[in-house]
Amino acid sequence: MIKVIVDMDKCQHYGQCVYEAPNIFKLNEEDKLEYLATADDSELGNIQAAVDICPMQAIQLIKE
Amino acid sequence: MSHVLIVGASMGGLRTAESLRRTGFEGEITLLGAESEYPYNRPPLSKEYLLNPETKIHFNLNHDTLQSEFVLGDAAVHANLKEQTVSTKQGKAFTFDYLVAATGLRSRSLKFENNLQTKRFSLRTKSDAEKLRTAISSGMNVAILGAGFIGCEMAATLTKLGCSVHVIAPEAIPLALALGDDFARVIQRHHEAHGVTFHMNTSVKDLIGEDDIRGVLLGDGTKIDCDVLIEAVGSITNVEWLEENNLDLTNGLLLDHALHAVTSEGPLPHVYGVGDIARFPYAQRPLPARRIEHWNIPIEMAKRVAKDICFQEGLDVADYSPTEAFRPLASFWSDQFDMHILSYGELHLATSRKLLDGDFDGDFVVGYYRDDELVGVAGLGMRGVLNTYRAEISI
Repeated sequence: MIKVIVDMDKCQHYGQCVYEAPNIFKLNEEDKLEYLATADDSELGNIQAAVDICPMQAIQLIKE
Repeated sequence: MSHVLIVGASMGGLRTAESLRRTGFEGEITLLGAESEYPYNRPPLSKEYLLNPETKIHFNLNHDTLQSEFVLGDAAVHANLKEQTVSTKQGKAFTFDYLVAATGLRSRSLKFENNLQTKRFSLRTKSDAEKLRTAISSGMNVAILGAGFIGCEMAATLTKLGCSVHVIAPEAIPLALALGDDFARVIQRHHEAHGVTFHMNTSVKDLIGEDDIRGVLLGDGTKIDCDVLIEAVGSITNVEWLEENNLDLTNGLLLDHALHAVTSEGPLPHVYGVGDIARFPYAQRPLPARRIEHWNIPIEMAKRVAKDICFQEGLDVADYSPTEAFRPLASFWSDQFDMHILSYGELHLATSRKLLDGDFDGDFVVGYYRDDELVGVAGLGMRGVLNTYRAEISI
């Protein structure tokens, strides 16, 4: 399993992660970020790409 | 065992090393960095890091998976691409099987008759930001030359720090060159509402002062007092170390569609460019190759270069075709006061613009067109709407 942590104090809801890992991240109707806190290992590559592309470097990934 | 030498240990270099490992490269990787710092993120330098020195800006490094040697505080001075060697300022010599040039940019500085240097700053590195922070305090007058993104972000940050900020630039409206007039007017209005003073359509003729800078003299004779001068007037590509190799180094390092460096005799399959120095061709537009200084470009280039190296090494690289042209979607963002600007595409290609949603008194999205084709979008807020146009952009 992968644990996903987003520092919501840093997050500016730019939504770049949504394109890299659409199964994990989304912008809701108010354009605010929502995400799944745990993910299957098959999402590793996508979540890693989301971590890299986040303008605020607000996403952390922990492999469990 | 093959050796990849990455010259430049900033984000582009780091992402290349990481991508190589993720793609299965098992050879040696060396990162050579001119700064004595592990890779850090530059955008916060003009914002969060300037406001708060406790802000963490270094990228997370996982040395176990990266398995790369960092040689920091030493710069490449010459590459011999035929011999496959690079020599450094401190007299080290490296050989390589693959070379990745990711040396980025340095700040441009203007020359004046009274070319004072004390209390004069630019912002490109962590050390630049630290020097600037120690020089400023609340209540100071600050003059910023240049009204691009760095100039405007600094204006916002220094205003928050209690400084009185004057921005001086030759264009009519700040950021107009990047975003177009309508968008740019909104930005100017926000800045002015927070107390920033703009001196547009003018330039600095000379500096005033004897040892320390006391002010600047504008072209029309106006004098502006300042305690600190910041130059945000663009940058220069760090390509000198690549000279004498028959490369095209006009405005960065010219690459082909697979990001290989190009000589007059053809591309060099073992030499790549990544990041701000990389000038790369359009996949389908009959336009000259361009550099893009947007933050996501090095990340995209790093992935591509890593795949190409692994492919050349005979590894099984999923979904990779070396002949497919590199076609990244550029993206940038900028935070200034309460404004959060986001853009996709290449706005500089536009010949016309259209307000797609919202209005210029609040949040909005602007479309940038070239011959009726959408080449970019940019907006304040309205992320959902902005993102729906993303897929329509054609570069």
